Amino acid sequence: MSLLAADARAFVAAARKELRMWRRYPLFILGLLFWPIVLPATWVLMGQAYSGGGDARALAAFAERAGTTEFAGFVFVGYAMYMWLSNLLWGPGTALRQEQIRGSLEAVFLTPTSRLVALFAPPISHLPFSLLNFVTMGLTLWLVFGIVLPLGPVLEAMVVIAIGIPSMYAIGSLFAASVLRFGETGPIVQLVRGTFVLACGITFPLVMLPGWAQAGAALLPPTYIVADIRTVLFRGVGLGAIAVDLVLLLAFAGLITLLAVWVFRILETSARRRGTLGSY
Amino acid sequence: MTATAAGPAVDARGLVKVFERGRRTFWQRLRGEPDRRERFHAVDGIDLRVERGEIFGLLGPNGAGKTTTMKMLATLLIPTSGTISVLGIDVLARPRDVRARLGAMLSGERSLYWKLTARENLEYFAALYHVPPRQTRARIDDALTSVKLLDREQYSTGMRQRLALARALLPDPPLVILDEPTVGLDPQAARDLRARVRELRSQGRTVLLTTHYMEEADQLCDRVAIIDHGRIVALDTPGALKRTIRAEEVVRLEIGLADDGAAVLERLGRSATVARSERHNGTLAVTAHCASARDFVPAAFDAARSAGATIQHVEVVPVTLEDVFISLTGRALRE
Repeated sequence: MSLLAADARAFVAAARKELRMWRRYPLFILGLLFWPIVLPATWVLMGQAYSGGGDARALAAFAERAGTTEFAGFVFVGYAMYMWLSNLLWGPGTALRQEQIRGSLEAVFLTPTSRLVALFAPPISHLPFSLLNFVTMGLTLWLVFGIVLPLGPVLEAMVVIAIGIPSMYAIGSLFAASVLRFGETGPIVQLVRGTFVLACGITFPLVMLPGWAQAGAALLPPTYIVADIRTVLFRGVGLGAIAVDLVLLLAFAGLITLLAVWVFRILETSARRRGTLGSY
Repeated sequence: MTATAAGPAVDARGLVKVFERGRRTFWQRLRGEPDRRERFHAVDGIDLRVERGEIFGLLGPNGAGKTTTMKMLATLLIPTSGTISVLGIDVLARPRDVRARLGAMLSGERSLYWKLTARENLEYFAALYHVPPRQTRARIDDALTSVKLLDREQYSTGMRQRLALARALLPDPPLVILDEPTVGLDPQAARDLRARVRELRSQGRTVLLTTHYMEEADQLCDRVAIIDHGRIVALDTPGALKRTIRAEEVVRLEIGLADDGAAVLERLGRSATVARSERHNGTLAVTAHCASARDFVPAAFDAARSAGATIQHVEVVPVTLEDVFISLTGRALRE
């Protein structure tokens, strides 16, 4: 077995271990079904109230800015992105921190497996939960709000998600790496998540932001993912119209992954010098 | 076990690890303020050579530098200076190659996933240790059998320690390092674990362990390095170390005092070597090294009487590694 194959197997085993541990917390799964329905539904109800119960002029004003009158779908897609971001910013860093607190991080680092496995495997283990979020929200849109998403655009949205996965998980891994230096990442995650929510058009059309903020948003992968999912789902255009965005997302993925690996290497070496790998 | 080049299992030279205490903030750096962080030498120039197939012990009190030394050998810490070769491989140049040949049990039970069963824990670590998939099941069975553990979800502390040892054996390592392997175990569990460690040696493996239990080092180790304040203060077989005491017996006395005890100590020193004395609430605890307790004990009673003191307790014990440590450092291991 080559070193690369052995590391790949370790990577799968590490993701599987995370999933096995989550299996011991059934209430967590219940939360995954509950929040994706309740929270965006409240936003949709707020939207209905602010638009005078779906007044035509209000919907037209919304469509002028968002490109669609489906504000429930708009909100749900945004919330799905919010949940994905939250999972990624909290999940991998928390997993690494838990390993540090438990004492198992040193045990993992005592093995010949690449230390990058500990960085990248926990984010991947969160993928099924994020997909479950998307499915739950799609079903809620259909069953509660009567919005039927055609199969073709849904498949195209899945392509956008698939292409967005590497860049999103690179962001998660970048934050996880900082655990080795800072221990608790909670305050940084709160700050960054808030910035993403504001800058990436999670809950409102991006055109509502001032020009300089829109320029900043163009540097953040979630901006493209959320906008492109909405485009293919609600504007009736195909993947060809967003091809440039998809290429950009792949480029972001490469850049952020390299950055995450670089940061992790530096911080891991620093932790081995300072003796903080196992400190909590 | 993976075949490796000949030579010692561990060869460390001039090993130093300095930690910094305190913080130097970004603003302090920016303003060019002097670095006021305190430097602490956790390991201060250790030379260590562990031969293949032996059980080698690092014995010392908490904070002596044992765990820091182990972590440097296991690639978890980068030394400030010095060189380390494990099984002929340079630890700093080829850490992954070292880890592939090393079974380590550090921080024992804390290093396991309590939400997973024993087998699930070992399946995960087998993949991390690059155990070939076809061998994984057999390796896990062997490892669980060797520590006499069944797969289950709830474990006592002793079972967790054994499971941590089973994990260390997964890669079939020629070198096993164990950091305080019996801490927190009840006497029976500790005996069982020591028996497992002896079996490792009989299988031809090298075992390097740290302990602050003198009995453990005495019973288990072929050679012992006594470590204090980051330095090795003595290194030899347990028997040879005990012979350095130049005493056949050790007498521990508890003496009731009416004064500061200086007079009785001076008189005791005429017929034995007073290795250690400690006053507590009007009682003087004395550890004396002597050639013959039969001769020294009556002399001690005479000395106490003439100094106006009373001997309340007498205990004659054979020389232990604790006495060696006391004679070298003037302190007990647990101080």
